[in-house]
Parts: sequence; C-alpha cells; structure tokens
Amino acid sequence: MPNISWILAFLLSAATGVLSGYGIGGGTLLILVLVLFCGSSQSAAQAINLSYFLPTAGASLCFHAKDSRIDWQAFWPAVTAGIITAALASWLAPHIDTGIIKRLFGGILCYVGIREVFAKAKPHKSPQREEKSR
Amino acid sequence: MMMKKKWICALSGALTGIVNGLFGAGGGLILVPLLIRAAKLEARRALPTSVFIILPMCAVSAARYLARENIGLQPLLPYLAGGLAGGILAGLTFDRFPVTWLRRILGVFILYAGVKMVFQL
Repeated sequence: MPNISWILAFLLSAATGVLSGYGIGGGTLLILVLVLFCGSSQSAAQAINLSYFLPTAGASLCFHAKDSRIDWQAFWPAVTAGIITAALASWLAPHIDTGIIKRLFGGILCYVGIREVFAKAKPHKSPQREEKSR
Repeated sequence: MMMKKKWICALSGALTGIVNGLFGAGGGLILVPLLIRAAKLEARRALPTSVFIILPMCAVSAARYLARENIGLQPLLPYLAGGLAGGILAGLTFDRFPVTWLRRILGVFILYAGVKMVFQL
C-alpha cells in the first residue's frame, strides 16, 4: 500500500477524480503518482484505482445523466457487448501469452493517442473526401 | 443509420471488454476515440458515456483485485471519499471546459499508456 497520510490520499484522489469524472484518464494518473511518488506496488495501485473509480464515476454520472450527457443509444449496446467480452477475455487471459497482443495494442494506443492530442476543435470532414476514401 | 450506430457501439464496447479482460485495464482509453470517430458521437457526450460503459467492467475487476490483494476497506476509505468529491466536482464543471482540450489531455494519457505497453515497462 502507498505510504501517504489519509489527507494526502484524499486530496490526490479528489484531484485525479475530477479527471476520471470527465472520462479523460484520471486513473492512469492516479496509478502513476501512487507508484512513482508514494511507494506503492503496481498491483496495490491498480486495486486502489479500480475501487476509487466506483464512487467517482457514480457521483459524476448523477450529474452527467441529469444534464443529458449520456448517449443511451450508444450506452446499451456497448455495455452489453463489453460485459460479455470482458468475462470471456478474463477467463481466457491466464491461458494465453498476452505479451505480443499487449505490444500490438500499445502500438494502436500510440497512434490513437497522437491523433487525439492533435484533435481539431471542429472535425469537419468534407463529404467528397469521405467518398474518395472508400 | 440508427442500426449502424448500434452495431458500431456494440463493437466498440466489445473491444473495450476484450482489452480490459486480457490486461486488467486500458480498454477505457480507446473507448472515447472509438465513440467519437467510429460511432460519430458528439465529443461532449462521448466522454461521460464512456465513464458509464466502463463502470460495470471496473466493478467486476475491482472485486477480483480486492479479493486477491487482500486489502481491507479501511485503507481505501480516503481514496473512495476523495474520488467521490472529485466525481461531484467533475459532474458540476464538465460543461465549462472546451471538449477539445479534454480530448487532448486524454490523448496524452493514451500515448503514455501505449508507450508503456509497447516497451513492456
């Protein structure tokens, strides 16, 4: 477990909690700080992140839902499919070598990350160009 | 059109689940770009919707981790309380930030996670 006082733990998770509530990767930052600066093991930091996300997401979602920021047509198919594949994959994970898959996925993340960093304020695509790319 | 969006969202969720199930985390990072670029959600709604989609997967992983790590509830309390406060603040202030900048911050974390995975750090 990380070696910090409860008040620091509270402040840290409140700060990353804002990012988590926005959906922009607060958990990644929390794990990073806990492991690099607070003497936590990777697995304890992951356990903290997974459990702290529950009240964090729950609280932010009350407001997101109230202000109609949830796209329900997207939510239901995604969450149904996600639960099924998550269960299957976690059952499969101990039986396969995930090293190569992890590297491949990491490569995809690098590409996606760069594209998101340079995301345009208004991503207008001209319809002609879209047809050309098909 | 409606039908197509439904299937793209199902595929995006399925991919998120596979990644989360295999590696324990990381699926959520590609969910927002998928929802925006493939399913054509507005960015303003893609971010909060992704939080909700990940929540149940996270709950299952949390239960599994806590059972394995043998951490009691007490040392977790400040993190849970802090997260709750941060989550409320996020819900109250979300509309005040330009979504493009939120995406860029997310992009930095995606890139960081990607580099870490490629080099197996």
